[in-house]
Amino acid sequence: MKKQPEKPFAFRGKLFFATVFIGYSIFAFLNFSGAIAALQKSGMILFKILPILAVVILMTATINFFLQPKQIVKHLGKESGAKGWFAMLLAGVISHGPMYAWYPLIDDLRRHGMRDGLIVVFFYARAIKIPLLPMMIDYFGLLFTLILSCYILLGAIIQGLMLEKLPRSYIR
Amino acid sequence: MEKSKDKRRPPFKKVVKKSCLTFWAMAPLLLGTIGLVGLFQVLVSPEMLATLFHNNPWVDTLIGTLSGAAAAGNPVVSYLLGGELLQQGVSLYAVSAFILSWVTLGFIQLPAEASILGARFTFYRNILAFFFTMIIAVITTLTLRLFI
Repeated sequence: MKKQPEKPFAFRGKLFFATVFIGYSIFAFLNFSGAIAALQKSGMILFKILPILAVVILMTATINFFLQPKQIVKHLGKESGAKGWFAMLLAGVISHGPMYAWYPLIDDLRRHGMRDGLIVVFFYARAIKIPLLPMMIDYFGLLFTLILSCYILLGAIIQGLMLEKLPRSYIR
Repeated sequence: MEKSKDKRRPPFKKVVKKSCLTFWAMAPLLLGTIGLVGLFQVLVSPEMLATLFHNNPWVDTLIGTLSGAAAAGNPVVSYLLGGELLQQGVSLYAVSAFILSWVTLGFIQLPAEASILGARFTFYRNILAFFFTMIIAVITTLTLRLFI
């Protein structure tokens, strides 16, 4: 069997990064201390999400190591069934950190055959933050938290199903 | 059979290195997004977002969804601000939409999401999340009223 050639390494989003850099430069010109404060905040965010990124990198590697693309399709592809939906709901609820930290892992799974509806489920289920539940209960009450959490899970599934009703050519 | 399967499997170290490279390739996108979040947190304070509400439950639900999507930062801030808004008389519909869209939508991360997952997918996912956030905010409040 012919080995598929590996894609050459290339940075993604260079233009976006350059735009943000220009934005910072303009802001620094207008308000230097504000730009420094924004840079400090960004640095703190980066410092906070570094461990999360490390976990996501390790998870990506572990999934790629243990699961062949065929198996990913079986668990998260079209044949996955209820198990796939439940797995992504759970993954969404227990995942930590900002949404963008998870884009590379989701992209990787998607390239290996993960269905689009499950990505929608994952991202919406992330609205339930287990470590923050006590705080939510404290601010808004137990009943509100329970009702909202149930609707989030239900809403995540319905959105996933709705997205899958769209023709594939509309989404990709 | 198992042995041949294992033979085909690359060493774990190599797989980790490949994953690191994948993330490294996305570094400009991630750093750009983080930079934008920092910039936004300095330019738009939570207090500024709170002034957007007008005490009209329906309009406020829409404002709550949009301002939550525009906001950036730890969800804890949305709870604190949501609690404050409730005390100021802003409807629970709006506050629910605000705290929900804070974590499910994000204008700031749209460029990164579109670049990595595709513009079409990002468009449909966010449109769905936007409407569902408002629907869930309304039905959560209505359901809660059945019990209280």
